[in-house]
Amino acid sequence: MATRAVSLPVAGPRPTLGVALLTVATLGLLGLCVLLARLAQSSAQAPVAGWPWLLGVAALFVVGAAGVRQVAQGESRAAKIVPAAAALVLFLLSAEALLRAYNVPTGLIPTPTHIAQALWAARTVLLLDAYYTFVLEALLGFVIGALLGLALALLAVRFRFLERGVLPYAALLSSVPIVALAPVVIKAVGLGWSSKTVIVAITVLFPVVINAVHGLQSASPLYLDLMHSYAASPVQTFREVRWPAALPFIFTALRVSSTLALINAIVAEFFGTEGHGLGFRIQIEVGRFGLDIVWAAIVVASVIGITFYLLIQLLEQRTLHRRV
Amino acid sequence: MTTAAPDSPLAAAPASRSRRASNAGPMLAVAALALLLYWPVMLLANRGVAQRALDSGADLGCKTALACATQLRNPVIPAPGQFLEGFRALTIPPTAPTSAPYNMLVTGGETLLGLSLASLLGLILATLLVRSRSFERATLPWLIASQTVPIVAIAPMLAVLLGQYGVQGFLPKAIIAAYIAFFPVAIGMAQGLRSPDPLQLDLMRTYRASPGQVFGLLRLPASLPYLFTSLKVAATAALVGSIVAEISTISFSGLGKMLAENSRASDTVALWVIMVYSAVLGIALVALIGWLEKGVTRWRPAR
Repeated sequence: MATRAVSLPVAGPRPTLGVALLTVATLGLLGLCVLLARLAQSSAQAPVAGWPWLLGVAALFVVGAAGVRQVAQGESRAAKIVPAAAALVLFLLSAEALLRAYNVPTGLIPTPTHIAQALWAARTVLLLDAYYTFVLEALLGFVIGALLGLALALLAVRFRFLERGVLPYAALLSSVPIVALAPVVIKAVGLGWSSKTVIVAITVLFPVVINAVHGLQSASPLYLDLMHSYAASPVQTFREVRWPAALPFIFTALRVSSTLALINAIVAEFFGTEGHGLGFRIQIEVGRFGLDIVWAAIVVASVIGITFYLLIQLLEQRTLHRRV
Repeated sequence: MTTAAPDSPLAAAPASRSRRASNAGPMLAVAALALLLYWPVMLLANRGVAQRALDSGADLGCKTALACATQLRNPVIPAPGQFLEGFRALTIPPTAPTSAPYNMLVTGGETLLGLSLASLLGLILATLLVRSRSFERATLPWLIASQTVPIVAIAPMLAVLLGQYGVQGFLPKAIIAAYIAFFPVAIGMAQGLRSPDPLQLDLMRTYRASPGQVFGLLRLPASLPYLFTSLKVAATAALVGSIVAEISTISFSGLGKMLAENSRASDTVALWVIMVYSAVLGIALVALIGWLEKGVTRWRPAR
């Protein structure tokens, strides 16, 4: 079947064939997984040679890849969504089958099903951790940092001295690694969640200041002249010209910082907590070789991170759409 | 502002750099003000700790809490004298394996090796992304999503895993640094490989250039500015990655190992010194990439 798939692209796009290939590959991989699970259950020691399984998985993966190739043609909505979803499913199933076939100890690399089981078993702990890491540390720090950054940017635009004196430092400090800052702040503020909030606020502050100043100054001189000739007050000029011009820049900074906020909250937790948070969980479980919990924590963090990013993006689209 | 810069937090850096000469005065004034403010803030922060130590009957060799604030063994914020003393102790001699400059070089080397690995991998992946649309559609959404995933969280685990399979010493840190830097680099490179406009591509066609020539003579050079922009963004992340990797593996040198040691020993002054060194390293890495960019992409007009 694989050889036929290779010669297919010449024949042009054939979505139905692609779907068929994908179904074959998915069902095949699923079958392999179930078979391997059965084998592991029936015999106490199942270490058959790994390579026949590897060949099978590779063949099915190639079939699946050919299917993805067929499905990905054209400009339809399905052609844009299905390949990504199929790739994820294929990848997860192949990983599951290979990890089982080679008997990789689950303490080293847990299979996707083990991770899902751990996710379900530890859901209350992980949700509480996520509450600490995301709501108390990342979100609060993000809001504080963004507001402070905006205030600082307004001051910097109003007083040129500040812009010239402070902004170069902000640009420099934005390349300071967060891990070096974290221990110092945690020693100063304490082990509780508030120290992590401070760290997140500091790391969000710099991109917001830099981009907001840049945006506030990006207003076209023509518009500013126009406002001047209308004898508009500085407040009016600000509200009508400068602020709308700055919004795209500010949202870019917010989008970048939204991912930074969560990541930095997790990293900061590596340096000391009172026993809560996803970063704490990851660190403690790596030490105990509970890697399925680690992966489950990463899955939780990823879902939160992507959702937060998408929410900011949605807010951006709504706001900018209304303005324009 | 001609490149991918508007989407990066470093966007404003070139503009402010070109005006640095006129910024010297205000920058110095702000630095002086910060130094002036440092003293009272330090006293205020340390006073409570000093008072508690005095109340518990510790013999600090001083009478009032305010006087003790500059002499605490574990201050919240170190006094300038303490900081300089700690700085001297960790810096001299600079070649000793326990000194901060030596460890800074180790971590910097790991990060640079990681960044070069990331560039190589990024180039390969970006070429695939540009050449095959089905590959792009199948993987690009996950590549973008992975940027919002706390990849650093995987670093401790990856370190353990690599150690299990016998990868030890310098390499695991570089691999983790590469792993973190690799996604922004791949996406930046893909954007760069696509950046030549149709006119230029048409010109190559009229010259009857082979696909290899189009790639080597047009697409690759056009992607270099994008590569450097994303490397600048990735450099700090990669540095964070190698430090976290040093913390979570058994390592005998590097800033991460120093951080972990002094964090466990609650040596606040040393932590401050290491923070300054890490800051210097982070800034130096970004500056190095900027310098390389200037050397490599000479044909671009100065911004």
